[in-house]
Amino acid sequence: MHFLKGLVVSLLPFAALAAKKPAADKFQQFHTKALSSTPLKLDDTIYGQLTSAPRDYSVAVLLTALESRFGCQLCREFQPEWDLVSKSWTKGDKKGESRLIYGTLDFSEGKMTFQSLGLQTAPVLLLFRPTHGPHASADTAPLRYDFTSGAPPAEQIHGWIARHLPDGPHPEVHRPINWMRIIAVTTTLLGTVTFISVAWPYLLPIIQNRNLWAAISLISILLFTSGHMFNHIRKVPYVAGDGKGGVSYFAGGFSNQFGLETQIVAAMYGLLSFATISLALKVPRISDPKTQQVAVLIWGGVIFVMYSFLLSVFRIKNGGYPFWLPPFS
Amino acid sequence: MADSGSITESFFKGSSGRNTRGLLRLTILSLIAAAAISSRLFSVIRFESIIHEFDPWFNFRATKYLVQHGFYDFWDWFDDRTWHPLGRVTGGTLYPGLMVTSGAIYHALRALTIPVDIRNICVLLAPGFSGLTAYATYLFTNEMSTSPSAGLLAAAFMGIAPGYISRSVAGSYDNEAIAIFLLVFTFFLWIKALKLGSAFWGALCALFYGYMVSAWGGYVFITNLIPLHVFVLVCMGRFSPRVYVSYCTWYALGTLASMQIPFVGFLPIRSSEHMSALGVFGLLQLVGFVEFVRAGVPSKQFATLLRGFVLVVFAIAFGGLVLLTVSGVIAPWTGRFYSLWDTGYAKIHIPIIASVSEHQPTAWPAFFFDLNMLIWLFPAGVYLCFQKLADEQVFVVVYAILASYFSGVMVRLMLTLTPIVCVSAALALSSLLDTYLTIKSPTEPTDSSADAVNGTTASSKKAEKAAKQDGLRSLSKPLVGIYTTFSKTSVVSALTAYLLIFVLHCTWVTSNAYSSPSVVLASRMPDGSQHIIDDYREAYQWLRQNTPENAKIMSWWDYGYQIGGMADRPTLVDNNTWNNTHIATVGKAMSSREEVSYPIMRQHEVDYVLVVFGGLLGYSGDDINKFLWMVRIAEGIWPDEVKERDFFTDRGEYRVDEGATETMKNSLMYKMSYYNYGALFPPGQAQDRVRGVRMPEKGPELNTVEEAFTSENWIIRIYKVKDLDNVGRDHASASSFAKGNKKKKTTKRRGPKVLRVE
Repeated sequence: MHFLKGLVVSLLPFAALAAKKPAADKFQQFHTKALSSTPLKLDDTIYGQLTSAPRDYSVAVLLTALESRFGCQLCREFQPEWDLVSKSWTKGDKKGESRLIYGTLDFSEGKMTFQSLGLQTAPVLLLFRPTHGPHASADTAPLRYDFTSGAPPAEQIHGWIARHLPDGPHPEVHRPINWMRIIAVTTTLLGTVTFISVAWPYLLPIIQNRNLWAAISLISILLFTSGHMFNHIRKVPYVAGDGKGGVSYFAGGFSNQFGLETQIVAAMYGLLSFATISLALKVPRISDPKTQQVAVLIWGGVIFVMYSFLLSVFRIKNGGYPFWLPPFS
Repeated sequence: MADSGSITESFFKGSSGRNTRGLLRLTILSLIAAAAISSRLFSVIRFESIIHEFDPWFNFRATKYLVQHGFYDFWDWFDDRTWHPLGRVTGGTLYPGLMVTSGAIYHALRALTIPVDIRNICVLLAPGFSGLTAYATYLFTNEMSTSPSAGLLAAAFMGIAPGYISRSVAGSYDNEAIAIFLLVFTFFLWIKALKLGSAFWGALCALFYGYMVSAWGGYVFITNLIPLHVFVLVCMGRFSPRVYVSYCTWYALGTLASMQIPFVGFLPIRSSEHMSALGVFGLLQLVGFVEFVRAGVPSKQFATLLRGFVLVVFAIAFGGLVLLTVSGVIAPWTGRFYSLWDTGYAKIHIPIIASVSEHQPTAWPAFFFDLNMLIWLFPAGVYLCFQKLADEQVFVVVYAILASYFSGVMVRLMLTLTPIVCVSAALALSSLLDTYLTIKSPTEPTDSSADAVNGTTASSKKAEKAAKQDGLRSLSKPLVGIYTTFSKTSVVSALTAYLLIFVLHCTWVTSNAYSSPSVVLASRMPDGSQHIIDDYREAYQWLRQNTPENAKIMSWWDYGYQIGGMADRPTLVDNNTWNNTHIATVGKAMSSREEVSYPIMRQHEVDYVLVVFGGLLGYSGDDINKFLWMVRIAEGIWPDEVKERDFFTDRGEYRVDEGATETMKNSLMYKMSYYNYGALFPPGQAQDRVRGVRMPEKGPELNTVEEAFTSENWIIRIYKVKDLDNVGRDHASASSFAKGNKKKKTTKRRGPKVLRVE
C-alpha cells in the first residue's frame, strides 16, 4: 500500500504535466491556425473550446451579424477595421508571445452563443483574459467594448486591447498601402490636367464668366445661412413622420431642423433675394410702362407673401414670436 | 412761395447744400449711435449695473487688478488664486486690449476729475463701442457704394442687429465688446489703403490690426481674410502697385505689431493659421518682381520663362513649408481652428471644445433670429456687388462667403457675419430705395420712340452684346426708371413696413433673449410682477463672508471665473480651460464614487465643493444637465475608471429617477445635487422639475462631505469637505456609527448548531 501511494505521489507531477500540456497545445493549435487566417472564423463549438475556463492565453472575439438580412450597418462598417487589427497583430507577433487569439463569430453560425450570452445587439467585442498562467487576471468575466459612437478605427481597438493586456508585446496596426487608390488618384489627376490644358481656350470664358461666379457665391451663401452645416455636422434626418402617417416638414424646437426644412428655407431666401434683385435691377430697365407696372406688382407681391410665410414658419419654430404679416398669420 | 422755394434751394444746392447734407448726416449718425447704445441698456434698467455671465467676470477682475497695480504689474501678473495648485501666468495668457482700453478710459476720466467707478466703465464699455461700430460700418459701406443712403442704412442696421447686440449689451464685458468695432474699422482702413495704394492708410490699418490682435483671438479672421482677398485679386489678374503697397505695408507692420502681445508672441511666423498671410506676402513679391521685369523686357519668351520661374519658386516654398511643418518648427493647427474645417474633429479629439455651447453649429432659426430680414437681403446685396466688381466689391464677396461658412459651423462666429450682412443688406435696400424714392419719372415712350428703341442701331447692339458677355445678365438693358407713382408708393410702403418689423424684431429679441445677465435670473409671478432670483450672488456672498480667504472651491469650470470674481476665492478650474487634465480631474471627482473622489479632493486641498442644481426651480442650465460632459472629459483621460456608458441605462436613457444606473446614483455629483432634496416635499412626492421626473423616495447619503449652504431656490449648493476622521475610521463607517448603527460583528459566522452526541 505504501509503495503504491509513493508511486502515485511520484507520478503526480507527470500527470500535472500531462494535464497542462493540452492547454498549452490549445493555444499553439489555434495560433498556427490564426497564422494562416486571422481572425479565426468561429462557430458555437470552436467558441466553446476557445473560451473554456482554464486558459493561459487571451481571446478577443467579435460577435457580429454580417448578413444583409440583419441590416447591421455598424457590423459591416467595423469588419474591415477588425480584420486589420487582427491581421497586423498576428503578423507582428508570429511566435505568439502576446498569447492573444482573434476570432469572429457570426450570428448565423453562433446562435447558441448569442442566446447563452443574452445578446440583443451586434456587434459585441469581448476580451477574455487568461484565467491562469503568468498573466492571469482575477476577473474571469470577459471585458466588453462599447460601440458608443459609430465604428471605431483600428487604432482605437488596438489601444483598448493593449490597455487591458499590459504585459507582452503590442504589435502596431499597419494599414496596408492602398495601391488601387493611389493609381486611381494619379490617373484622375493626370487626366484632369490633360483635359484642362486641352480645353483651356473653351474653359477660360466660362471661368471668367461673372454670372457663373455670382451664381456660385449666392448658392453657397444660401446654403450656409440656411443651416446646411448644421445638417452636415449633426446628421439630421431629411424628414420625419408626424406620428399620424403624414410628413412633418418642420422640426419642433428652436435649435432643431430637418434636411428638407433647410432646403425649403433656402428656397424661400433665394426667392426673396431674387425678387429683390429683380425689383432693384430688372424692373427699372423695362421700357414698357404697362409691363413694368405688372412686374412691380408681381415681384412686390412675391416678397410680401413669401416674407409673410417665412415669418409664419419662424413662428412654428419659436412659439412666442409675436410678429406676422397678413396672408399667413 | 417763390421766396421759400429759393430758400430751400439755397439749402440743398451748391456748397451750402453740401453743408446741410453733412449736418443732416452727422445728426442721423449721432441718432443711430444713440439708438445703438440705448437699445443695449435693457439689462441695466431692468436689473442693475452688473457684469454678466462668465468670462466677463474674469475680464472685470483683471481690469480691477490693472487699475490697482498699474500696467507693468498687470503685464507680469501671476495669478495663484486660480487653477490651484498650478496657478496661471495671467499676464502672458490673455488678450490685454479690453482691460487696457477700459483702464485708459478710467484714468482719462479721473484726469478730467470725473469720479467714476471702474465697474460702470466696464458695464457700459460694450454699448459705447457699439456706437463706434455703427460709425465704422458707415465708413466701410461708403467705400463700397456711391449711394449716400447705403452707409447710413448700414450703420442703422449694425446699430440694432441682434447678431451683434447678443455680445454687446451693457454688462457683457467681453473681448468682443471692442473687437467688432476694431474688425470693421480695420476692414475700412484696408479698403481705403487698397483703393489709394497708400502706405499711410496701410500703416493705419496695421495699427488697428495690432489693436485688434491685443483684444480678441478672432483677429485670425482678419489675418486670413485680407490675404484671401489679395489672393483672389491676383488670381483675377488684378495685381497692381496699389495692391502691392497696401498689402506689404499692412503685413510687415501688422505682424510686428501683433508679435508685441505676449500671448501671441512668435505665433504669426510659426502657426499654420498665419501661414496664408505669409504665403501671400511671398507670392506678391514674386508677382511684383515678374511684373517689374516684364515691364522692362518686352520679350514673349522671357515672360514664359518667368512663369516657369514663378512656378518653381512656389513649389520650393510649398515644399519648405511642408518640411518645416513635419519637422515641427511650425506648430500644427490648433484644435479650435482645426475644428472649423474638419467639422467632426472636435467631437472626437477635444471634447472640451465641443462641450461649449457657443461652439455648436448654427441651425437656420438662429440666423433668422439674429438678422431677421437682413438675411434675405444679404444675397441680393452680394449680387449687386457683382455689378461693378471693383477691388472693394471683391472683398465683400469673399468676406460674405467665408463668414457665412464660419457662422454656419459655430454659433459664436455669427458675430463676424453680422457686419457684412448689414453692409450687403444696406447696399440692396439703398439701391431699391434710390430707384423707387425719386420723384422724377421717365417720360412714357411714344410709339415712334419705342420703334427707335426696337430698331436700335447696329453699333449700340454690339455694345449691348459686349456688355452681356462681360457684365451681369440683369444689366444688359439700359436703365429707364420707374414710370408710375403707384409702383413707387407700393414698393416703398412695403419696404417701410418691413423695416418697421425689423426694428420691432430687434427690440423684441434684445429685450427677451439677450438682456439677461444670467447671474441674476428673472421670472414672472402669477400676478405678472417681476420676481428676481438672485441665488448666484447670494451663494457667492456667503462664500465671501463665511469661508477663510484661502478656502479652495471646487466646481465645474463654468463657474470658475464667477467664483474668482464675486466670491474672491481660489478655484481649481475656470473658464480659461487651458489645462484639460486638470479639468478632467475635477470631472473625475464629480463623476466617481465618494471613496474615489475623496482622495482626489484631499490631494487638491479642496475645502468646499459647489454644485448648481436647477431641479427645484426648473432651471435647465444646471450641473446634472452638464454632467455628461464632465464624464466625457474625464473619460478622455481615464478611460478605464470613468465610462460614459455606465451613466446610461441598458436602454440607453440618461435617467436620474428610480431607474438611474448605480454608477449614476453613486456619483458625487448626483449625491450632492439631490442630497436631502426629498425633505422639501411630502414623502414620495419629490420631483425634479428640469427633467420632469419623480425622485426615488430615499435620497442619497453623503459621508465625505457635509452640506454647508444651499441658496434660497436651491440653485447653488455648497458642501464642505470633511476632514479626516479623528480616530482613523473611514467616513462611511464613521457616519454609520454616528447614526447609531451597530458595528457589524466581524467574527466568523459559525455553522448551524449541531447537537453533540459524543
